[in-house]
Amino acid sequence: MQEFLLILKGDGMNHLSPDELQDIMSEYKAWVNQLGEKYLGGQRLVDAGALLTSKSDKIMTDGPFLEPKEIIAGYFLIQAKDQNEANEIAYSSPHLGLYQIEVRAISTPKMS
Amino acid sequence: MVTETDQIIEHLFRNEYGKLVSGLIRFFGTANIQVAEDIVQETLIAASENWSIDGIPNNPTGWLVQVARRKSLNELKRRKMIEKHHAGDHFRQQSENQIGSVLLEGEIEDNQLRMIFTCCHPSLNIKSQIALTLKTLCGFGVKEVAKALLTNESTINKRLYRAKSDIRNSKLAFDIPQGVELNERLEAVNLTLYLLFNEGYNSSASDSIIQKELCLEAIRLTKLICEHFKEHKKTYALLSLMYFHAARFEARIDDKGTIILFEDQDRSKWNSNLINLGIQFLQKSIDTSLSSYHIEAGIAAEHCMAKSFEETDWQSIYNQYQLLEKVKPNPVIKLNLAIIQSKLKGVEASLNELDQLAQNKTLVNYHLLPATQGIFHMKLGNYRKAIPFLEKAQTLEPSASENEFIQSRIEECRKKLLTK
Repeated sequence: MQEFLLILKGDGMNHLSPDELQDIMSEYKAWVNQLGEKYLGGQRLVDAGALLTSKSDKIMTDGPFLEPKEIIAGYFLIQAKDQNEANEIAYSSPHLGLYQIEVRAISTPKMS
Repeated sequence: MVTETDQIIEHLFRNEYGKLVSGLIRFFGTANIQVAEDIVQETLIAASENWSIDGIPNNPTGWLVQVARRKSLNELKRRKMIEKHHAGDHFRQQSENQIGSVLLEGEIEDNQLRMIFTCCHPSLNIKSQIALTLKTLCGFGVKEVAKALLTNESTINKRLYRAKSDIRNSKLAFDIPQGVELNERLEAVNLTLYLLFNEGYNSSASDSIIQKELCLEAIRLTKLICEHFKEHKKTYALLSLMYFHAARFEARIDDKGTIILFEDQDRSKWNSNLINLGIQFLQKSIDTSLSSYHIEAGIAAEHCMAKSFEETDWQSIYNQYQLLEKVKPNPVIKLNLAIIQSKLKGVEASLNELDQLAQNKTLVNYHLLPATQGIFHMKLGNYRKAIPFLEKAQTLEPSASENEFIQSRIEECRKKLLTK
């Protein structure tokens, strides 16, 4: 098993109505239940923050600094056999469509 | 503290949205409606995500208030920081405790009343008033407002944007008007709520669920006004009118979404509880002066209380329409008067009046006039004459379900002509 970070990009949820947000709750819950132990955690990030580019540059605060579709909205941490399974899990997420999802394996040193 | 059940009340998010937004506007001021909306949206997103993982909290509303409060405090801190560097002193005077107090349960109604008066401010364009009411007070999304008002999202976004900037620019106070101003402002509120209800009731869109929600929201807000301004009897009449109409909601369309004409409606499907509420509020509305709402409610009452279509007291309805025309001159009322003549003097006499009305410039583009002419010709067995009227009605932008209804009548005419 390997750990993967699913990075959600975009501002999809911001455009859902209260009724739609209430509806998506049960889909999301079903998805997490279905993943069982493969779901390790997840969190949403607030849009504002800081952007640091170099020691010499001024720190940019508040934001967002990017196009809405590039903003990182949150992440899930899952475990999967391989990249393919991780992709499938991301594909089954109710968030796909509202957000773009980037599926990245977490690099772990091989224990021998 | 998590309950086993994952059931929460239907439309909880939507209802809490309206309450929280009104509360936060009271704190942040009418110049910052968008700020309040963003905070509440963030709060609901957080709820949607947290509750699906951790389960529904025992007190969902309390959870939402807590999170909205925390987010507002962060926003306040941020604003105070900005004001330190720039001009402006709105937020410098605001204290942290005030957020908690505007969100207290006891303040909800007061907040919502202030919000109604803000949304229905006469300085705003009426279409913007309705869109803003649905978005902020009723918690509809932009997509849903567009659907309910039979337009597209970009039109609604423009109306909302305009309403918010008008409110900001004219520095509207977030308060309940007093004294002489109150009556005038209540009239404006009533008119907006009346139109909001009509949007839902008359537009017979393909999606009847959202139309019904619109009517229910109009009733909810009108009730709130009634409860607070007991002296303002016109609002009682308005509420009565809404109840009488809402009572017939289910009987107006069949399973397939096709319109059922008034005379063909199954009266057992009329909601007797709502009719009773209509009667109650009509009695309470008795006043020294007669408003158009009183007369319209009286007409609706006459219809709802008749045992059958045939037993309707058409003379009384005719007289009330005549009265209504004096109070609120309107060509559509003339059309109604002409239609009722068919019950009093016969279809032919009514058709003569309708022909005369067709000369009236204001009714030239009103689809229900030729549609009625067509149907009356059908009643007389003049199927050949009926078709061009029905076809004309179709060119005047009837709603989808009206168009379907007219089409079915045209086909009926053609069938009759073939078998003759």
